[in-house]
Amino acid sequence: MSDLLGMFQGLMNGFGIAFTLNNLMFALLGAFLGTIVGILPGLGPAATISLLLPLSFKIGSPVTSIIMMAGIFYGAMYGGSTTSILVNIPGEAASVVTCIDGYQMALKGRAGPALGISAIGSFIAGTLGVIGLTFVAPPLAEFALKFGPPEYFSLTILGLLMASLLGGTSILKGLIMIVLGLLLGSVGLDPISGAIRFTWGFFMLQEGVDFVTLAMGLFGIGEILYNLEKELKTELVTKKISHLWPTLKDWAESKWAIVRGSFIGFFIGILPGGGAVISSLVSYAVEKKISKHPEEFGKGAIQGVAGPESANNSAASASFIPLLTLGIPGNAAIAMIFAALLIQGVQPGPFLITERPDVFWGVVASMYIGNAMLLILNLPLVGMWVQLLRVPYAILAPIIVLFCCIGVYSVRNTVFDIWIMGIFGVFGYLLRKLDFEPGPMILAFVLGPILERSLRQALLISAGSPWIFFKRPISGTMMGFLLLFILFQIVMTLRKKWSKGSS
Amino acid sequence: MKKVKTIGWLLVCCSLLLAPGLGGAQEKFPTKPIELVVPFAAGGSTDVLARLVAKFAPKYFDKPLVVINKPGGGGVTGTEGVVRSAPNGHILYVGYGSGHDLVMPHFQKLPYKTFEDLSSVCLLSVHSVVIIIRADAPYKTMKEMIEWGKKKEQVTASVSTKAGSVDITFQAVGKTTGLKMVTVPFRGGAESVTAIVGGQTDCGGNHPSEVISHIKAKRLIPIAVALEQRDPAIPDVPTFKELGYNVVTAGSVKGVAAPKGTPPEAIRYLAERFKKVCEDQEFIQAMKDIGQPVMYKGPVDFAKYLQDGYEQYGKLIKEFNVKLE
Repeated sequence: MSDLLGMFQGLMNGFGIAFTLNNLMFALLGAFLGTIVGILPGLGPAATISLLLPLSFKIGSPVTSIIMMAGIFYGAMYGGSTTSILVNIPGEAASVVTCIDGYQMALKGRAGPALGISAIGSFIAGTLGVIGLTFVAPPLAEFALKFGPPEYFSLTILGLLMASLLGGTSILKGLIMIVLGLLLGSVGLDPISGAIRFTWGFFMLQEGVDFVTLAMGLFGIGEILYNLEKELKTELVTKKISHLWPTLKDWAESKWAIVRGSFIGFFIGILPGGGAVISSLVSYAVEKKISKHPEEFGKGAIQGVAGPESANNSAASASFIPLLTLGIPGNAAIAMIFAALLIQGVQPGPFLITERPDVFWGVVASMYIGNAMLLILNLPLVGMWVQLLRVPYAILAPIIVLFCCIGVYSVRNTVFDIWIMGIFGVFGYLLRKLDFEPGPMILAFVLGPILERSLRQALLISAGSPWIFFKRPISGTMMGFLLLFILFQIVMTLRKKWSKGSS
Repeated sequence: MKKVKTIGWLLVCCSLLLAPGLGGAQEKFPTKPIELVVPFAAGGSTDVLARLVAKFAPKYFDKPLVVINKPGGGGVTGTEGVVRSAPNGHILYVGYGSGHDLVMPHFQKLPYKTFEDLSSVCLLSVHSVVIIIRADAPYKTMKEMIEWGKKKEQVTASVSTKAGSVDITFQAVGKTTGLKMVTVPFRGGAESVTAIVGGQTDCGGNHPSEVISHIKAKRLIPIAVALEQRDPAIPDVPTFKELGYNVVTAGSVKGVAAPKGTPPEAIRYLAERFKKVCEDQEFIQAMKDIGQPVMYKGPVDFAKYLQDGYEQYGKLIKEFNVKLE
C-alpha cells in the first residue's frame, strides 16, 4: 500500500512540475513539432530531437528539455498515421499496417473518420500506456529483461505469420513478398559473423537498406508512378467526402479494437527492438480474426485502422519503461532522449526514480497532459487534411516526391539513399502493376534481420541445440501458440476442401 | 496551403541549422562554425562525447561547434565524407581511433587510407573494454569464472559487434585462459548490455560508459579491464595483467581528425582549444559521470598512440586468427 501511496505522491509532485507555465509551453511545443514531423514523411522524431539537442541545453533544466523531447516522440506517433491514410505512405514501420485499411477508407471518401478514429484511438491508447508506465513500470521492465534471443525468435516468427495473412487475395503472392522482404533485409553486414553480403561494393549498403528509404520508394514513389498512368484527374479522391467525423457506428465498431490495441501495444511495446511493429501486426491480425466480417479487412475496415494505430501509440508510451527504469534505450528516438539525459548529467536507470524524482515523475505527468494536448491539436487538423485531398494531383504529387526526397536524405544525410529510393519506387510501381501487396514485403524486411540475429544468437548460446526455443517458458509458450495456430489453419483448409469435394 | 507554408518555414529553419554559415575568404581561422562529424548514430557513446564537447566549446572556441551524425558502413561512410571534404579545419571527424580505424582495416580495404588521409588533431578519451558479469552469477571474480567455465561445454559472452575491440578481447581471453569462449554478437553496445543484464549470456564485455549505471545499481559486477593500466572511469577494477593474464588491448580510442592538407595553424588552433576544453573541471566531471574519462594528447603524441593501437590489434588478430566468414 505504501508503495501505491508513494506512486500517487510522486505523480502528484510530477503534475506540480509539469503544470508550471514553462513546462506546459514546452510540452505543447514538443507535441506540435512531433505532429509536424510525424506527418512529414521520412523526417522522424529521432532526427528532430537530434537537431534540437543543442538548443535543449539552453532551455535550462533537464526536466523541461526531456518533456519537450518526449512530446516530439509520442507526438510523431499521432502524426504518423496521417500520411498512411491520406497518401499511402507509412512514415515508420509501425504505420505500415495502417496503410492497408486506412488508405482504402480514404479512397472511399472516408479519410475523415479514419483520421478521427486514429486520433481518438491514439489518445486513449497513449493515456492507457502512460497509466501503465505510472503503476507497473518496474515489474514489467524485469519481464522485458527475460526476453532473450530465443524469445525474440519466437515472437518474430509469430509476427511474420501475421504478416503473411495481410497478403490480400493470394497467399502465394503474400509469401513471395515475404521472401523478397527477408532477402532484402539480409543486405549488409552479416549480424553474427560480420561478413559482407549483397553490398555490390557500396559502403553505404554495409548497414543495409534503411527502412525510410524503402518505405518512401515502395509506397510513396511507387504509388505516384502508378497514378501517373491513369488519366490525370483533378482530385486523387473522386468520390465525395461523406463524413468529416467518425459516426456513432464507427465508434461502436472500433471502441473495443482501440482497447485491445492499447493492451497489445503496451505489452509488446515494452520490448526493445521490434516491439511497436509487431504489436501493430498482432493487433491487426486479432481484429481480423475476431471480426464478424473479416472480408471487409483490406477494403477499408475501420477496426483495421483503430487497432494498430492504438497499438503503436501505447507501444510508444511503453518504450519509456526500459529507458526510465533500466537505462536501456529501445529505439532510435528513445536513444536520443537517453543521450540528452546523459549530457544534462542525469543517468537514466534504476536510480532515476530515487535520485531524480523530479525528472521521472515530471516527464510521466507531462505525458498525460501531452496526450490531451495532442488530441485537441489533432482533431481540428482532420478537417484540414481532408481538404488536402482536394488539391489537384498534379500539384500534390510533386510535393509528395519532394518531401520523400527530403525525408530520405535526412536519415543519413546522403544522396545515395535518394537513388535507392528511386529504384524501389520503380519496383513498387511494378508490384502494383502485377497486383502484389507491398505491405508484407516491408514488414518481412523489418522483421527479417531480427529473426536471423535472434535465431543465430540463440543457437550460439545453446551450443547448437534447437530445444532452447521450447525449453524456456516464454519462448515455449509462443512456439506452442504458433504450432496450434498452424495446425488450426491446416485443419480449416482441409475441412473446407473436404466439404467442397463432398458436395 | 497552410500546411505547405508551415512546412516551408520548418524546412528553412532546418536548413539553417544544417548549413554551415557562409564565411568570408581571408579571415583568421575559424571563419564559420566548425562541424564535428560523428560517423555513428545519434545517442551512442561517440555522439554523447561530441555533444558534450560542443556544449563546453563556446567558452573556448571563437565559433560554435556543431555535431552532425553521418552513420553508415560501421563508421566508414561518415569518415570518408570528412576525408573528401575541403581541408580547411571547419569539418572534423570525432571518433578517430574507433573500430573502423584500428580494427576493420585488418579485414577489408577501406575507400581511404585511415592514417595517410587524415591528420590527427588530438585525443579526447579512451574507452577500455571491461568484462562484466551479473551480480547473481555463481562466480564473482575472473578466477572463479574461469574455474566455473572449465567445467562447462562453453562460456558465452555478449559483444557489441563481431570483430570489434570487445570480440577480440574475448578471443584473447579464451586463448590465454584455455576457456571455450563463444562470443554472441548483438547490434551495438546497448543491446549487448541488455543481454547481460537479462542474464542471456554468462558474461559480457562493454565500454564503461555503457555499463556504469548498472554497476552502480549493483546489477552487474566488473571483473577485469583489458588495458595496460587501470581505467580511471572504474579505478577499482583490476587489469588482466594484474590478475596474471596477458590480455591487453588499446580499447576504443576517441580522438579528433581533420582531412589531410588542413593548414597547420588550423590544427594548432584546434588542438589548443580542445586542450582547454579537456582541462575544464566541469567538463572533466561530466565526462567522468558518463564513464568516459578525459585523456588528452596533442597531434604528434596522438598519431603515435593510434599507430601503436593499430599494430597491437593487427598482432592480436593474427595471433588468434580472427576471421570474418
